[in-house]
Amino acid sequence: MNPIQEILAKKEIVVCAGSGGVGKTTTSAAVGLRAAVEGKKVAVLTIDPAKRLASSLGLKELSNSPTKVPPRKFESADLKPKGELWAMMLDTKTTFDEVVMHYAPTQEQAERIIANRFYRNIAGTLSGTQEYMAMEKLYELYAGGDYDMIVIDTPPTRNALDFLDAPKRMTDFFDSKVLKWFLLPYMKAGGGIFKVANMAATTFLRLVKRIVGSDVLEDTAEFFGNLEGMYDGFKQRARDVAALLQSDVTSFVVVTSPAEESVTEATFFASRLNESGLPFGALVVNRVHPKWADAIDVKPRQISRLEQGEDTSRLLGKLIANEQQFSKVVSLEERNLDALARKIPRHRWVRVPYLEREAVDIGGLSAIADQLLGNHSRG
Amino acid sequence: MQIEEFLHPRILIVSGKGGVGKTTVSAALALVAARHGRRVCIAEVDRKGTLPKLFGGGELGYQPRELSPGVWGMNIVPDEALAEYLDVQYHMKRVARIFSSTHFVDFITATAPGLKDILVLGKVWYLEQGRTGPHFDTIIVDAPAAGHMLTFLSAPTGLSDAVRLGPVQRQAEWLVQMLQDPHRTRVHLVTIAEEMPISETIETSQALTERVKIETGCVFANAIYPQLFTRGEREMFDALVDKGDFTELRGEAAHVGLRLEKEDVEALINYATFREARREIQAKHLRKLKKGLDETVAELPFLFAAGLDLPLLEEMADVIEERVEQL
Repeated sequence: MNPIQEILAKKEIVVCAGSGGVGKTTTSAAVGLRAAVEGKKVAVLTIDPAKRLASSLGLKELSNSPTKVPPRKFESADLKPKGELWAMMLDTKTTFDEVVMHYAPTQEQAERIIANRFYRNIAGTLSGTQEYMAMEKLYELYAGGDYDMIVIDTPPTRNALDFLDAPKRMTDFFDSKVLKWFLLPYMKAGGGIFKVANMAATTFLRLVKRIVGSDVLEDTAEFFGNLEGMYDGFKQRARDVAALLQSDVTSFVVVTSPAEESVTEATFFASRLNESGLPFGALVVNRVHPKWADAIDVKPRQISRLEQGEDTSRLLGKLIANEQQFSKVVSLEERNLDALARKIPRHRWVRVPYLEREAVDIGGLSAIADQLLGNHSRG
Repeated sequence: MQIEEFLHPRILIVSGKGGVGKTTVSAALALVAARHGRRVCIAEVDRKGTLPKLFGGGELGYQPRELSPGVWGMNIVPDEALAEYLDVQYHMKRVARIFSSTHFVDFITATAPGLKDILVLGKVWYLEQGRTGPHFDTIIVDAPAAGHMLTFLSAPTGLSDAVRLGPVQRQAEWLVQMLQDPHRTRVHLVTIAEEMPISETIETSQALTERVKIETGCVFANAIYPQLFTRGEREMFDALVDKGDFTELRGEAAHVGLRLEKEDVEALINYATFREARREIQAKHLRKLKKGLDETVAELPFLFAAGLDLPLLEEMADVIEERVEQL
């Protein structure tokens, strides 16, 4: 069984991770598609706001709750799904609202928070929010129990560290004791900055006031005031999500290309998974240049002689020059991948060469899925 | 276009989707500028990217460091930009340093979205004006990936709508002037010839001109497989493949003292077929790109590598010079 087949057989949550531009979204969609064809009810959750996932599944657009891919879309690719494929795109702001509604002790408090200007500013922009909400949505979908499998395509963070640490960074921000210590006197002083007794806090608030204006502070203090009592809920959820990700229902798929920087990133990510006790499932190496044979042993002099000749000779010269160029790429890619193999054993790998067809529709995704499962018969 | 004209705006912002070679193009542009006598600073924006690695390693800090003759590199970190801003404007550097350890920038950013971007662009302005640090003739900003870049560049325009800001609002206006003046700033987009990057580039380019009102320069289509065959050669190749008889090829090889095995011939055919197939896909996307854009598309070749170093960057710089002259 290849590692992707193993994941399809045993896992309920698949997290695809890797640096930008290596084919994470496509991999997620292809894995989800295959699981649906084989009989599972699958939800694919994408973070990438680009419309690619939607269009490759033949959908107009995706929303913050799963949309079912109509069976007739499969028919055009000669597929008969035994299960169902659902897809959604994370809307950070809406999910954040849902989280607030869920954790606020009262409806009124939730509404006050959602109406707060400071909240509206941070809900979509604060660093780590998107990642936190992705995890939140994942947990919600899983706990809901409606799906046999959930495939999530992580945000295109350049640094893999960001994605793993983001939920913690965000909860730390909300629970920053230092911040609250600075804001607290202001909250109790009834709005007058200069009534604050604490000197350090005064300096801080003056600084903030100079930069953003004083009305902003009121919103901020109100926001943190309203958030009192909700931190424990946030933290508990962050712990639950972490436990779910570490459990054996989950599998991480690291996606990479054979390019040097992407390989470096993948190596780093795999070791981070290991340190954090997160279950690594497979490494997908995308965009590999095909290798047809060992490089031909030819001297530049021979190539130029061929290129100076007549028709067939010139053509052969070009063919050999081309073969030499590709052989060079292939060997450079091999070198990068050998370094990777020292960190991730090759039996956990799946290689997907450049295909002559793009994954722009279900048929294309299905061809990628064939590659992922080691089934190379192309339709 | 004369290279001097291309380098006339001193601020060149380079952006594109992740994984398309944005940093490579930024670095190659810097080499081009340096060849033409400019002192260049490449600024990465709040990230530890691959830029220093292209020039032999090390890290980039907030202080520009010379990476190769005439080319400096730095990383604009918002925390440091804020500290510098407070120092220059209010002589409050020490205070800011204390707060930088307490989510201060996160906090400030949360209170006024876009402020982080303004801090970064403010540093670009400082560099342009020579207010802090050494003078640079050309400032290349290795900007965030395209989606975020629009927010990044609209920050100064959007700021005054969000919060009342006093002095900062006035400074934001200076930034708007800097960005919207085609004699001072130009955005160059980088893409590869694949479906998603192409659509995103077209959308970004439109949004830049219409929404952000920033002048775009050219669009670099990166990693294009160079043409292999002339039309005649392609016909000859197809005929050969159709016939499936390669004795003639083998004969020509033997003629120059080269012995081709069966698998060698297959490899020759397959590599060429692969290249032609990829070129066709790329050509289709390039047509779509050119149709959707007002800007000139400059094609940059796939360099048959799997990682970059200085010699390859120099090669890329040669091509960029050629392409710019053809514009």
